Amino acid sequence: MNKVVPAVLAIAAATLLQALLGPAIAIGGAIPNFLLIVAITLALVQGPVSGAVAGFAAGLIFDLLNTGPVGAMALVLAVTCWLAGLLFQHMFAEGWLLPLTVLGAASFAAGVAYSVILLLLGEGESFWLSMLTITLPGAVYNTALALLVYPWLARFLRQERPVQTFRRLA
Amino acid sequence: MKSPAHENRTSRPLLLGVLIVVSLLLITGWYREGDGGPLHRIRDGVHTVVAPVSAVGEVITHPLRVVGGFFGDLGVSRGGIAELERQNAELRRRNTELEEARQQNIRLKQLLRFVQGKDLKTVGGHVIGRPNNAWEGVVTIDLGGRDGVKQGMPVVSGSGLLGQLIEVAPNSSRVRLITDQRSGVAAMVQRSRAEGIARGTIDGGLTLDFVSTDTTVNAGDAVVTSGMGGVYPKGLLVGEVTEVEKDPAALYQTIQMRPAATLGNTEEVLVIIGRPPAPKIGAGE
Repeated sequence: MNKVVPAVLAIAAATLLQALLGPAIAIGGAIPNFLLIVAITLALVQGPVSGAVAGFAAGLIFDLLNTGPVGAMALVLAVTCWLAGLLFQHMFAEGWLLPLTVLGAASFAAGVAYSVILLLLGEGESFWLSMLTITLPGAVYNTALALLVYPWLARFLRQERPVQTFRRLA
Repeated sequence: MKSPAHENRTSRPLLLGVLIVVSLLLITGWYREGDGGPLHRIRDGVHTVVAPVSAVGEVITHPLRVVGGFFGDLGVSRGGIAELERQNAELRRRNTELEEARQQNIRLKQLLRFVQGKDLKTVGGHVIGRPNNAWEGVVTIDLGGRDGVKQGMPVVSGSGLLGQLIEVAPNSSRVRLITDQRSGVAAMVQRSRAEGIARGTIDGGLTLDFVSTDTTVNAGDAVVTSGMGGVYPKGLLVGEVTEVEKDPAALYQTIQMRPAATLGNTEEVLVIIGRPPAPKIGAGE
């Protein structure tokens, strides 16, 4: 239970930031996705199960905040966060570089998956153009932003227990 | 020493399966239900709650943009003495305020000029929220159902056609820009009257599709709404042709456009809430 409250608080804060600050700190066509950053961080810190649930919730909020099909980003983030959590669970992670690399890759993968879903649903136009103008710049921006917030966010979200292995995060 | 919680290594693929199924059901439900369906109503509710937050963000970031410009200008007078700098700063502050009023005056005049002579009934509003993700070109304005606006109504800025209302809450609405990839406007080249569909692209550009290769379109040609379909009144400026590619083997030309109205400099908008009935040709009397 004690891991639910920080997760809910972090997702709520990300929602507020997305609506309040997201449009203002856009660089070119890239707008950071705070909800994605929080969901993937949760997956890295708490594992694939929490990650999938948080990803689904964050994605659903993203869908409701915008005008695209409801459920599309929920599907993408649930799967991406589950995979990111599973992948990271099987890595020896010391320091911040590996989690950030996984976060960047997951952000890119989520962008690709969302783009494909929009295309399949007839809501998107050009896959490669969206890669160049949205997915790639967005992943870079999310990773750069995560570089600033990940250590604090991970510490806030981590549910700590007595040590069992040498694995450390963040 | 502490270790993270996920070291128990549970992954519960069944849970993921359930979430995937729920997501797919949501997507299916979204497309199958009408505008009055529960998912649409929930989104309308979220929109109603979030619109004031977006408005606050717009207000907060506007001074930041002004201050950014202010400091950029201050670089010129940094070598001056302290008193002159103080006076300079004060004058610049006043100048910024006056400039803001002057620019707003110009924009409003431009806005009025745009609709004058077209005999359109309009209602004016402000942009209070900009796109909060890169996947769509949708803005929020401070006009809602209480102001008489309805879903589907066209929105113009002082420069040209901006978009169309896609969601209307009591006090705010969402406008899908013509540069959004899901947007399509029946349009024609003003000079040659060649008709096509102006469609947005994922990178915020605009193309004119389905223009036959039999017609001649040149860079610099103005593109206006054709009035086909009855959504947009005829003759609203959509943009300007920037590039034309004509493949003799293709049915249609590839035409790139520059939108007349861009979001970057748009603060005031007009929603067209009514227009005169089309004149009846050959109806007698």
